[in-house]
Amino acid sequence: MLRSPVTMASFSRACRVSARLARRALANDAAVRGLRTSSAARAAQNFTMPALSPTMTEGNIASWRVKEGEKFTAGDVLLEIETDKATMDVEAQEDGIMMKIMQGDGSKGIQVGTRIAVLAEEGDDISALEIPADEGGKQSPKQDNKPSTPEQAQMIDENNNTETKSEEPVKISRQEATKERAKAAKQTRPLLPSVQHLIKEHGLPDSAVDEMTPTGPNNRLLKGDVLAYLGKIDAKTPQQISERWDHNSHLDLTNIKISIAEPKGAKVPEKTAKTQAPAPTPVTSLSLPISLQAALDIQKKVNATLGTFLPLSTFIARATELANDELPLPANYQPSADELFNQVLGLDKVGTKVSRGKYLPQVSAFPPVPRAAQSKKADIIDILAGTAKKSASVRQNGAQASGVPSGINLFSLTVPKPEEKRAKVFLERVKLVLENDPGRLVL
Amino acid sequence: MLSSRLIGRTAVRSAFQKSTMPSMISARRTYATEAEQKDLVIIGGGVAGYVAAIKAGQEGLKVTCIEKRGTLGGTCLNVGCIPSKSLLNNSHLYHQILHDSKHRGIEVGDVKLNLDQLMKAKDTSVTGLTKGVEYLFKKNGVEYIKGTGSFQDDHTIKVALNDGGETSVSGKNIIIATGSEASPFPGLEIDEKRVVSSTGALSLAKVPESLAVIGGGIIGLEMASVWSRLGAKVTVIEFMDQIGGPGMDTEVAKSIQKILKKQGINFKTSTKVVNGDTSSEKVKLNLDAAKGGKEESLDADVVLVAIGRRPYTGGLGLENTSVEVDERGRVVIDSEYRTKVPHIRCVGDVTFGPMLAHKAEEEAVAVIEYIKKGYGHVNYGCIPSVMYTFPEVAWVGQSEQDLKKAGIKYRVGTFPFSANSRAKTNLDTDGMVKMIADPETDRLLGVHIVGPNAGEMIAEGTLALEYGASCEDIARTCHAHPTLAEAFKEAAMATYSKPIHM
Repeated sequence: MLRSPVTMASFSRACRVSARLARRALANDAAVRGLRTSSAARAAQNFTMPALSPTMTEGNIASWRVKEGEKFTAGDVLLEIETDKATMDVEAQEDGIMMKIMQGDGSKGIQVGTRIAVLAEEGDDISALEIPADEGGKQSPKQDNKPSTPEQAQMIDENNNTETKSEEPVKISRQEATKERAKAAKQTRPLLPSVQHLIKEHGLPDSAVDEMTPTGPNNRLLKGDVLAYLGKIDAKTPQQISERWDHNSHLDLTNIKISIAEPKGAKVPEKTAKTQAPAPTPVTSLSLPISLQAALDIQKKVNATLGTFLPLSTFIARATELANDELPLPANYQPSADELFNQVLGLDKVGTKVSRGKYLPQVSAFPPVPRAAQSKKADIIDILAGTAKKSASVRQNGAQASGVPSGINLFSLTVPKPEEKRAKVFLERVKLVLENDPGRLVL
Repeated sequence: MLSSRLIGRTAVRSAFQKSTMPSMISARRTYATEAEQKDLVIIGGGVAGYVAAIKAGQEGLKVTCIEKRGTLGGTCLNVGCIPSKSLLNNSHLYHQILHDSKHRGIEVGDVKLNLDQLMKAKDTSVTGLTKGVEYLFKKNGVEYIKGTGSFQDDHTIKVALNDGGETSVSGKNIIIATGSEASPFPGLEIDEKRVVSSTGALSLAKVPESLAVIGGGIIGLEMASVWSRLGAKVTVIEFMDQIGGPGMDTEVAKSIQKILKKQGINFKTSTKVVNGDTSSEKVKLNLDAAKGGKEESLDADVVLVAIGRRPYTGGLGLENTSVEVDERGRVVIDSEYRTKVPHIRCVGDVTFGPMLAHKAEEEAVAVIEYIKKGYGHVNYGCIPSVMYTFPEVAWVGQSEQDLKKAGIKYRVGTFPFSANSRAKTNLDTDGMVKMIADPETDRLLGVHIVGPNAGEMIAEGTLALEYGASCEDIARTCHAHPTLAEAFKEAAMATYSKPIHM
């Protein structure tokens, strides 16, 4: 908006836009620095050369509109700034008092971020206030293209009227922290005794401190950092320790095993090993021919007496459910923490040795219809011996009776090798219920 | 920021109204029990809950704290840290007068134990402190409901009042701080008379002739110390091969075991309690030595079950919310203490991390800061542990076995109290300070102390860790003479260079 093509006559007028706009563009960077100063300078605040456009690096002060000691309210024009492009007014963002003007009218070539005045809050006794230390001036604008404007940030910080704004400084201050970590922040705190000692011992100049990379908590310079700077230890070591500490300083919330809400009554330890069964575990196929004749008879009987047709799938589903109950644990069963605890207490004999299964058999006609997918399982000996070839899709939900509806069907199951025995028990149970007493399944 | 200011202002205003128009306020209260929504409802008035409540009050939140015990302070103040410290301190005095005064030049006549008075002294401490918390609630405008809270839904908590009746509260934010309970020993029912938990062990009616302690962790060893000093024959049975629990440095654990053994406590480590039998006059425990030992049995008048604690969420009605618990019953949280329901948060023993009062306290402050300011912090790498036996054991940071296991290089320095002038003058020279540091950068990694006043001394180690200090930093800090803390400094010297007094 500052570069809108206008005639020279109206140029400066057009550019007399509120610095607020430009400020907004810089809000992020300013807010960051503001965060740093806000807590320190509660009373008087440094007011530095604002950057009125993204490309502005320096400017001249045309004139101050507010004199030292004068009060101003939000929106008052504080001063006029000349840049190579335009002259602009800078407005106050909140009420205050002009405590001291550091760069008078006509000052030329002032770097963005250099302190130009000190502001006090409304109601402050400016004679009693201390002038805060100049922070912005030391910053080299060449090194950091984005200028520092603490006072703007301060205003934004204080003036915070929206929630979004209040969140900004926090977010960015983290980025800032990492940025600073990388380029060695200035140490303002008293140095640790070991650090001080090493510096004196090696005759390092004071400026050397700023070249060291601090790895301590809150960017504190540690003994290891000096040793690394001196080349006495591996330069990476301090950072590695720091990262390890950072890791330790947080609660380990990984690998949480959520407890599944237990079905009421039954306190059967549910599926622990099976769901975790890793892919590479060898699988094995098991099959058992089961006659559905008895079930068919019941189906007919029910249809005749009650007039309702019960699909065969109902029989199979209920038989499956029954058979899944209290199956022996698989060979590779991983006991839960509670069970281990019981073991520690010597109570493992009391604990259950069974758990509920989740098997769903695949039903096919027997002898199998010559389908490509099933042809490999044709050998009954193999089937019964459990050595049939691996079949990929087994635990399908739709375990419907796809085979011939009468006579014998083949119930097959593919399970991880360690669960072979468990699966066998399951199939035998299905057979038992379906062949002997299918009526109980539905009535 | 603005919202916080607003809340601050309204809080001031309402406080103002309270003082000027009490009648109106009380009228509104009865009317508003159902409809009023609090900024924060805390379930549990233990260390996590009460600290969070006070902090929230200070931050200007409208806060309600629900506690069913009838007194605030939870396990720690009522049946944990505080009463046990009273018993430990006074039993130590008794023991010292009885056995450790003659050679110091103090001859005492007939020394008698008055257990009732000992217990009364304990109760006085406890009552004073719990009442103190109640005062702090009033001071900070925390509403305190005595009753059992349970979730009706994600926002509403039904409270069965201790005085009868029922009420319900709802909150924009809810904190679960229900703490933990002693893990029972399966097959050995706790009756708090012959088979006791830590709670019962704090108020036995008489000194038992023999006491068996199942579990050689901090609680077990502290209670073992109390009753051993008062005259019981104490046997501690620990399943692991070291006492003190998993966090204690192995070298320190061995050291304190030797010292406690000298004091008359028997230890059976690597020993499993198979089962117990309470049918006869004495409780009989059947033991099984884990490594090649033979089975044996042990008779005791009283058995203390101190095998650990487990999160307590009974009757909380978590099933009426979508809050998840893990397989060990801990409420699942994220790094900002949020449960699966974002406005329900959880801190303290009932969730992850070590079950320590000071950890709960840190979390309580952090969780309020998260609610109020969007950021809080607890440094879990810097949480000290203290065991108040005599001498005390305290540690912070990583143990030698931790580092060894993780394959991290380290350097160890120790300094014995037998070379410390203050310990010498006190005639309490058992123990040492052990420091572990990075061998290259000298950065402190862990401090382990067994010795007199270790619990106070560990604060210096925690501060050093928090600030990323090196052993040299500690060694170059002036320590007063003659103090026990000089041993701390000398241990630092021993770690990065050489101690002067050894």
